[in-house]
Amino acid sequence: MTVPTSVSQPPPKRNWHSLQASEARLAWGLISPTAIIVFGLVLFPAFFSIWISFHQVTLRNLNDVFHAPFVGFDNYRSVFTDFAFKYHNIQNMGAAVTSVVYSFLATILTVLVGLIAALLLNKPFRGRGLSRATFLFPYVAPIVSVAFIWRWLLDPRPSGVLNDLLMRLNVIHMPKAYLATRGLALFLVIIFEGWRYFPFAMLMILARLQAIDNTLYEAADVDGASTWAKFVHITMPELRYIVGAIFLLRLIWTFNKFDDIFLLTGGGFGTNVLPVLTYQFSFKMFNFGKGAATAMILLLALVIFLVAYILIVMRNVEEA
Amino acid sequence: MTTYHGSREKRTFIDHLAHWITWPRFIFAVTMTFFLTSILFPFYWMLASSFKTYAEIGGRHPVYVPHALRLDAYAELFNPNNPSYWDFGHNIINSLKVSVPTALIAVILSTLGAYAIARLHFRGKNLLLNSVLAIYLFPGILLIIPLFAMLSQIGGKLGFAVQDNLGVLVFTYLAQTLPVALYMLTNYFRTIPTEIEQAGLIDGCTRLEVIWRITIPLAIPALVSVSIYTFMIAWNEFLYALVFLNSRTMFTIPIQINTIFNDPSPRPNVVMAASTIATVPVVVLFLALERFLEEGLSAGGVKG
Repeated sequence: MTVPTSVSQPPPKRNWHSLQASEARLAWGLISPTAIIVFGLVLFPAFFSIWISFHQVTLRNLNDVFHAPFVGFDNYRSVFTDFAFKYHNIQNMGAAVTSVVYSFLATILTVLVGLIAALLLNKPFRGRGLSRATFLFPYVAPIVSVAFIWRWLLDPRPSGVLNDLLMRLNVIHMPKAYLATRGLALFLVIIFEGWRYFPFAMLMILARLQAIDNTLYEAADVDGASTWAKFVHITMPELRYIVGAIFLLRLIWTFNKFDDIFLLTGGGFGTNVLPVLTYQFSFKMFNFGKGAATAMILLLALVIFLVAYILIVMRNVEEA
Repeated sequence: MTTYHGSREKRTFIDHLAHWITWPRFIFAVTMTFFLTSILFPFYWMLASSFKTYAEIGGRHPVYVPHALRLDAYAELFNPNNPSYWDFGHNIINSLKVSVPTALIAVILSTLGAYAIARLHFRGKNLLLNSVLAIYLFPGILLIIPLFAMLSQIGGKLGFAVQDNLGVLVFTYLAQTLPVALYMLTNYFRTIPTEIEQAGLIDGCTRLEVIWRITIPLAIPALVSVSIYTFMIAWNEFLYALVFLNSRTMFTIPIQINTIFNDPSPRPNVVMAASTIATVPVVVLFLALERFLEEGLSAGGVKG
């Protein structure tokens, strides 16, 4: 009785197993260089950063970092009480609050401008390909170039383009130092973000727009719907998820962004944000422990936000 | 007679315009003009300023159209006999020394990795892919302090300098570019039908031969766009180069532009000339390969 069953059972199970195993070995072999570089240069440093934030690391003991003295939460306390970090008043918000205000407003602006640009390019017209390529310029050009073009356009001398235009139009009578005026500087940095990063939102929204089933619009036409009604009842619902995703991605990247503000204002005049503050603590004051603590606070804020966002989005998905 | 004719023609043109224009078209034209002007004018300003002399730059009013294509600013960048010579050619070479290896290595490694993810079955695949992508969201500024400390430890043991070492910079750029490269190529490989590869395997090719002879030739467009991308990321990168490079002879283009900008005597035309040189290659590459690249751009290719 046992003999026939053992014969009828598929014997190559062991073989199949080892084939699968050799495939897995090959796969790990193929992916390990990438994995080692990415994890070694990102994941390990990220954990190491937690360690550094609890130790006193300065330029003097950087070469012997593993013997740095443990200081507990001193670095964090020092960041939280730092003048540049704390909220004072609406004129002087400190890096923590500025970061949040800047990231949210810049992200909202980026998505809105991207949406408008995508709607502009959605319908065929002569020169659409060229306009679409042109719209991507700000995003593709090096950040150093575009930041310095903007600084040159906003030059505080009367020969600055914006000063010249506004003076000719009699809006202002004296030249203004736009990037060196509290409030105005933050406003312009946010405008810059919208100008530079809208193409990312535009491309993703455009791809989604092109994928919307045209029969929906045809049905609406039959029902005599207006353009606005079609936009609100067909286009917007179709775009909801992609806009949510873009918002999240851009928010994370803007929150983490160092280059733009560093190059435009150097973090002065009410535009200091956490990444720039981290740089200043680490590479201007050479207090690496305090810098790492600032970066950890930045990451923690990001994680809290992500969790909140995911919880809210998940709940909405379940309700829908 | 002719004036009558002319005015009649003018009237028909206005009539025509009045007939053609509707509110949606009007709004479209105005918005489009606004977009194109606000995008193109800054780039025009960069190009125009780079051809100006100090007299044109330093005047009371901005000069909207340069009087002549003067190469004063470019001479300052490239001519060794100029009193304020910046040796910019050296910086271009440094940038190439960083960007080209980054692009090549990233494309090779991510091809292998993406093939494994797209085609082979192994445990922990999704976890691996997701964590590589999640890592992409880490702030660069968070990583730079530990990287700096870590690499100086390793460098001390193995006897290489971390500062002013372009090779170290290539490694950090690889960590930044590999996740997207992997993601883009995995998506592309999944669109290639598996039948051709299976035929190759049945004919007795090994997996590596299949990758080399079948998959890679089929994926050329994707490989081109991934390499252009990683090239662009490395070419444009600012923060890591700022921290890791100290000596002027090692500066990449962005850091040198920053240095020229922060020079005690302001020289906007030189900054704009250098910016033009930094911008033109990426914009030209981009326009030439726009179709290939857009897909990657929307996949978050330039982490920005």
